[in-house]
Amino acid sequence: MKAVKQVLPLAAAMAALLIYFGLRVPNFLDPENLLDLIQQISVNAILAFGMTLVILIGGIDLSVGALLALVGTTTVYVLTQGRFGGAGLLGLTAAIGLGLAVAVGFGAFNGLCAAKTKMPPFIITLAMMLVARGCALRFNEGRPMHIPDDHGVFLALGNGRLFGVIPVPVVIMLTLFFIVGILLHRTRFGQHLYAIGGNREAARFTGIPIVRNEILVYVLCSVLAGLAGMIHTSQLYSAEPASGMMFELNAIAAVVVGGTSFTGGRGTMYGTLIGAIIIGILDKGLNQQGVHFSLQYIVKGVVILVAVYADVRRR
Amino acid sequence: MVRPVGTETELLTFEGVTKRFGGVTALDAVDFGLRKGEIHALLGENGAGKSTLIKVLGGIHVRDSGTIRIEGRQARIRSVGDANRYGIRIIHQELSLAPNLSIAENIYLGRERQGLAGLRRRKMRGDAEALVEKLGLHEIVAVDTVVSQLSVAHQQLVEIARALSCDARILVLDEPTSSLSEKETEALFDTLNRLRSQDVGIIYISHRLEEVMRLADRITILRDGRSVGTEFVDKMNQREVIRRMVGHDIKDHFHRPICQSRAVALKVRGLSSSMVQGVSFDLHYGEVLGLAGLVGSGRTELARALFGIDAVGGGEVWVDDELVSIKNPLDALDAGIVLVPEDRKGQGLVMFQSVGFNLALPWLTHWIRGCFPSRRRRQGIIDRAIRNFSIKAADTDASIEYLSGGNQQKVLVGRWMERRPKVLILDEPTRGVDVGAREEMFSIIAGLVETGTAVLLISSDLAEVVNSSHRVALYRDGRIVNTVKACEISEEEIMVQLTGAQDQ
Repeated sequence: MKAVKQVLPLAAAMAALLIYFGLRVPNFLDPENLLDLIQQISVNAILAFGMTLVILIGGIDLSVGALLALVGTTTVYVLTQGRFGGAGLLGLTAAIGLGLAVAVGFGAFNGLCAAKTKMPPFIITLAMMLVARGCALRFNEGRPMHIPDDHGVFLALGNGRLFGVIPVPVVIMLTLFFIVGILLHRTRFGQHLYAIGGNREAARFTGIPIVRNEILVYVLCSVLAGLAGMIHTSQLYSAEPASGMMFELNAIAAVVVGGTSFTGGRGTMYGTLIGAIIIGILDKGLNQQGVHFSLQYIVKGVVILVAVYADVRRR
Repeated sequence: MVRPVGTETELLTFEGVTKRFGGVTALDAVDFGLRKGEIHALLGENGAGKSTLIKVLGGIHVRDSGTIRIEGRQARIRSVGDANRYGIRIIHQELSLAPNLSIAENIYLGRERQGLAGLRRRKMRGDAEALVEKLGLHEIVAVDTVVSQLSVAHQQLVEIARALSCDARILVLDEPTSSLSEKETEALFDTLNRLRSQDVGIIYISHRLEEVMRLADRITILRDGRSVGTEFVDKMNQREVIRRMVGHDIKDHFHRPICQSRAVALKVRGLSSSMVQGVSFDLHYGEVLGLAGLVGSGRTELARALFGIDAVGGGEVWVDDELVSIKNPLDALDAGIVLVPEDRKGQGLVMFQSVGFNLALPWLTHWIRGCFPSRRRRQGIIDRAIRNFSIKAADTDASIEYLSGGNQQKVLVGRWMERRPKVLILDEPTRGVDVGAREEMFSIIAGLVETGTAVLLISSDLAEVVNSSHRVALYRDGRIVNTVKACEISEEEIMVQLTGAQDQ
């Protein structure tokens, strides 16, 4: 398995971090603590899955953090309006449906601009980040919207446990990991992305439909951000228009630590998952060790640099 | 007539220079000499050691053993800076100019003249002008023209001017004419001849034997990292040079495919795009139609229009007597038209992916059904291409960048043959590949044509066009001005018609 061989050094780094914190922090390796860790990385991991696809074709999506907030607020707004059926299944479907529709709209716009105009994705998605953030702040005058307790199903998205053990966000995250992983590693679509990222012109000369694939990638990335937004909102018991700040950067960090090339064409879903876990371990480990948050930033920055440097050296 | 060669003073000597990379010996005790005022051609197949020799000379690689002397004295070349101090300047195939800066600024790039009041622009401009005048470039463009507006040929002259501005005594040119038209090549040769008379020693690397035989004073042939001798050009002929490069006789330079007059595969009527102005022609099954045109005549644009890369303004394309509408490459592929583009690395290959990835890429529908990729089918596609086109790749999972230029080209052609296309368009299929690979490429084409494929061959090498086509379409300013049987026209006659010399 070539893919496994590629992520081996990363997996080793992850294991080393686990052992390190296992020795320094009491009970760090307890199953309950580890489950908690995985739950905490779920939102970032889901964002990172989408970001991997975008970076793989040589793009970038800075709007996912703001979109996460916008989809969260949209969903909760619809949910609490009552006009669409209130707390029942109908209301829930309408809320999630509309939330995802917003995500699809933003993604399609990003993708269309990236594929059809010469504007760089960095600028397009920077602008759309502002637009999405502004839209989110239009709800409830920018104040958090509380989710009433009668929306049990929606609250379970972020807080429930499958069979009373596995947190629902983890289940969703792993399901999405398998879906996106299969898309990227087992389908024609995935091969197209590697070709486009590796050499856009060559992909075109091979008859690969670039515009269609590119739009699809940005839509997928946005939909994943939307799902992450619902989980995040549910975890907070309220929709916060100002949430999700800097989430896009955390996602990008997970992707590049996971070995995806920033110029496109190289990267795996396994790598991204491990990248997200590594960042999660650092966050939780340093926190539980009682390291001051200012130092946590510095450590994370250095880890990202070291990981990417090691990766570049290896190639 | 025997030309006196240089001044008989040795400017540069390599004595038993050896360079190894791991277990591979790239240069094996090579002797080499360059005199003042001499153009010395360095020949050999890809991988023969030419570029290693140049890199050792330029300080990019450091030799493992042997001696390099400059004007008789032992030279220590351990870095690019060292090489520069000895007056050694290398002009690589990929030009290294800053496209957004002017000619003058490029000449002094990295060595800007600066006074107390900032850059001394006027001084640099004046100096640059004097230099450019020496090369005969000043009649054409002003020194404050931005480099991106220059043709490749003129950019090359700027590179040479830059080299001369640092008092280059040894000038190395690596494949300088690969993207030049005949006319531009002539202008370059004039410049090189002028430099020769100014006692500059020039090392010249090219795959184009004819021009080498015409330009050089002496040639040194490398094979498998060894020098197989240095000779005066007057004492050699092309056949002999090729024999020494390859190490055995080549039967025939080109295989002219057997002509089998058959049905029309591709019928083009009045095709127009931005650079193509109403082109009409017929291409038969089992036929090679050579498209002879100068660089910039719109040959590549014709190929791009046929393949759906460029938007088509008007005209009709018929395949098998069926009108087809080609709006993108997918339409072209569906119609049975395949294009192997001119820029192998830029448009053809996905560089840091494997050989297998590149070979299997056009056939995804054959080996991936939904989310079930079949390793067996994929390997089948790869193996067939490797076998049928004798692609030399030790490991199909290894990155394609490790293949030689000729093998990369075979990948680009071979990968389309899983299902035989009706029409194969080849744009400069032998650019930058060595003699052996070129011969192989033409035997591949001959093989395809024999089984009925229709081939449209675009090449700057007129000998290639004449020798391997059945008919030649003379292409000028986006139009086909004449179509003739290849056996009834000479290269010279083609040149006359292409340059419009007979109009005067």
